[in-house]
Amino acid sequence: MMEEKIISRDDLLKICKDVIEKGHTLLSPGIAEYNVVKDVSQIKLDASALPTKTSYKSYVFPKAEPVLYYKRSKSDVQLIDVNVDGKNIIILGAKPCDTNSLNIMKHLFNWDYSDEFFNLREKHFITIGLMCSHYDEYCFCTSIGLSPVSEKGSDIFLIPLDKNNFALRIVTEKGKEFIEPYSEFLNTVDETLSRQVTENVKQPEVAFDCKEVHEWLGSNFENPKWEGIGNICLSCAQCAFVCPVCHCFDIVDEDYSYTEGRRMKNWDGCQFGNFTLHASGHNPRDIQSKRYRQRVNHKFRYYVDKFGEIFCTGCGRCSRGCPVSIDIKEIVSNCKD
Amino acid sequence: MKDLREHTRELLEKGEIAAVIGYRQVSEMRTKPVIVTDPADAEHLVFNEYCLNNLAVYLTKARIKALCRTKDKTLKLAITAKPCDVHSIVALIQENQIHRKDIHIISFNCHGVVKDFGCEFNGDNLASKCITCETHKPLYFDKIFGEEKETPKASDQALARIQELESMTHKERFEFFKGEFDRCIKCYACRAVCPLCYCQRCITDKAIPRWIESSSHQRGNFSWNIVRAFHLSARCTGCGECERACPADIPLTLLNRRMAIEAKRSFSYVSGRSLETPTLVGSFNEKDSDELFM
Amino acid sequence: MNNIYMPHLAEIKEIIDESPDTRTFRLRFKDEDTSDSFEFKAGQFAEYSAFGDGESTFCIASSPTRKDFIECSFKVYGKVTQALYRLNKGDTIGIRGPYGNWFPLEDMKGKNLLFIAGGIGIAPVRCVIDNALDLRDDFKDIPIICGARSVSDIIYKQEIKEWKARSDLKTVITVDPGGETKSWDGEVGFVPAVVEKTAPPSDNTAVILCGPPVMIKFTMPVLTKLGFKDEDVYTTLENRMKCGLGKCGRCNIGNVYVCKDGPVFTYAQIKRLPQEF
Repeated sequence: MMEEKIISRDDLLKICKDVIEKGHTLLSPGIAEYNVVKDVSQIKLDASALPTKTSYKSYVFPKAEPVLYYKRSKSDVQLIDVNVDGKNIIILGAKPCDTNSLNIMKHLFNWDYSDEFFNLREKHFITIGLMCSHYDEYCFCTSIGLSPVSEKGSDIFLIPLDKNNFALRIVTEKGKEFIEPYSEFLNTVDETLSRQVTENVKQPEVAFDCKEVHEWLGSNFENPKWEGIGNICLSCAQCAFVCPVCHCFDIVDEDYSYTEGRRMKNWDGCQFGNFTLHASGHNPRDIQSKRYRQRVNHKFRYYVDKFGEIFCTGCGRCSRGCPVSIDIKEIVSNCKD
Repeated sequence: MKDLREHTRELLEKGEIAAVIGYRQVSEMRTKPVIVTDPADAEHLVFNEYCLNNLAVYLTKARIKALCRTKDKTLKLAITAKPCDVHSIVALIQENQIHRKDIHIISFNCHGVVKDFGCEFNGDNLASKCITCETHKPLYFDKIFGEEKETPKASDQALARIQELESMTHKERFEFFKGEFDRCIKCYACRAVCPLCYCQRCITDKAIPRWIESSSHQRGNFSWNIVRAFHLSARCTGCGECERACPADIPLTLLNRRMAIEAKRSFSYVSGRSLETPTLVGSFNEKDSDELFM
Repeated sequence: MNNIYMPHLAEIKEIIDESPDTRTFRLRFKDEDTSDSFEFKAGQFAEYSAFGDGESTFCIASSPTRKDFIECSFKVYGKVTQALYRLNKGDTIGIRGPYGNWFPLEDMKGKNLLFIAGGIGIAPVRCVIDNALDLRDDFKDIPIICGARSVSDIIYKQEIKEWKARSDLKTVITVDPGGETKSWDGEVGFVPAVVEKTAPPSDNTAVILCGPPVMIKFTMPVLTKLGFKDEDVYTTLENRMKCGLGKCGRCNIGNVYVCKDGPVFTYAQIKRLPQEF
């Protein structure tokens, strides 16, 4: 399905206002993160903005969430289930590198066992993507099969035609359902206008070929390169936590009194030394080089083999934010040298 | 730059040092840490306004120390350090994490660095630590390069913010930090980049008992960030790496610098300035003021 | 909402002290329906909760053919096992599972079964041994080699006594050098060495091998030397796990998640994986 309309910025903001008034959560990109919009004047809808420092995955896969509550008495335990509220979350102005993230994570959260914490939120998530006209040295969406004009993962996709008007593409059924009540704001448009914009958008050059990287990783598990990177990498989880698709988590219990507490599902990262540490002291990935190798392999090889999709969106956040400037694009582009 | 490269190449060739921890230019306005062991690679080393990292963090890493051990002797490790990074090295020596004799400090006359990669070097983009910096010449070094230059003028916004926080009520201040810490995602990048966070096992990784909740909710975030500030009080040298590394833009300097101000006011102590003095937390003086005890 | 992280509650019916630091819990689900519907196969594992301290992963140590209870054995190591150790008879724990794959006993029918276990690794092996003994006629010879660090570290002493008493089993128990006592009448030596010395015949034999990573690492080449085929050697990987559901990412090695694609792998499969276990 694909339908294209034109909408003015003012009308778009009117929709936003209505969305907020209806009690839905509206998100829009700020500088550090995607913020909950309280006042529509905050909304910038700037296609040339830098990607936010963190992605919006926390709205579907929260950084810390309770999965159950427990009450203990002398020898008995009572468990209380949690329910995820099915509140609609509408994200406006998501970058095309972000919009595909939930599609990628979906595989993991649904193979065999379904994680309804993720699924329920994802079901109520409406993504309004915005074409991207910014790129910097860290961006590589085009290398992993996306692009600044990719509609993948968007329910509705916006393309700025001029300062005050957007072409609005209805991409999915969910998007159609969302926009239908607002059809008074939509007008017919000459589709060549948006095509002109998308065809002329500046795109990052393709930096590597995923198939080649996949192959190289398969035969270079013991390459000395990993050690070089491991010497520099400081083992924080910045890369994993800002990543729109990284999904590893920890499960921990938290007492808040002697008799009561809850079990939490918290973000965790494969770069932490204790991620794979056994209670016995044995650690399969005991040094940083092995952990970084795991990260790259998981993104460009393991996930591809397992779920048929590259575990990356090319947003470049991990590299942009890395305190020691480790650049994943540079590493996979130069893997063969 | 030529001097730096020649100097390190010579040291490596002579076998006097095992490696150089230095900076490498990756694009016009970005450098990254590099560990040079091959004399031929010394040509990549640079020093300029884009050398943001505090490389002292690598000095305590086991894998870097391992580079120095040969069969029959331990070689020196060379490090390129801004004068402010030298403070961290001094603090590490004071705390017995490294020995002065094992480190070859290559420093520079410094006139400041940018606040982030990709910024043009001028007063507006000066890193906040450089605005109030008084050490443009390193306090300790084995070799020094670079000419003395004037630091661009800029206003000290961090201090203004600290003063602003001081004037707030407890409740207002709590609300302010609540808002800031809410964004914390517990990636521990602040800990990873900190030269003084060298603990083999951080308190937050200890599960028996669990002192700091690993969840990044309000209580967990408060306990982590406050405990870290406490652990760094009178130790933090103000390099600002934690704040630069934070993906959530939490102004950690406000905490650390506030503690440093207190250490100076109450005990006339500034961390990482002298190899001769013991650390503040590691020494006891019966005349010390006790007004800070709760 | 179907919450995959929600455990079933179970009562500790009996506590058996296996060694100074290893305990076995005999458990029964509090909910009768769960008791009836809980089915598993030899080699599968579960997540056991000590509420307030978290979850820990152990195999189900009892045989699936003995249905009125399930058993798990654990060695006190970390936070959760310490907490479990503090519990008493009648207390409540949580169980999620069964998870993972199993030892394909069906495919081993008509073969000899060689069991090799070290330390707490005897727990999953015991489940398979009991299962095989309940179906004794399906298999030919069943030699068992068990190792422990010292005599006092030997667990399942009662079961071992029973196995030793049976004429249709050949049971060898060994302790690491230095771990023997004056009255010890078993073998002294590390498991790989004892396997080499005992040299069980390799033809038409399936091997079930469990133990600490280092033991597995050194036993594998011995088995190869004795002529065992990589496809006939079954072992379990013991990577750290949290969810057991293939989600949390901890046990990922190469393109397998040990908790879902494992924990049982043949040596042939393991050889193809990155060596990160």
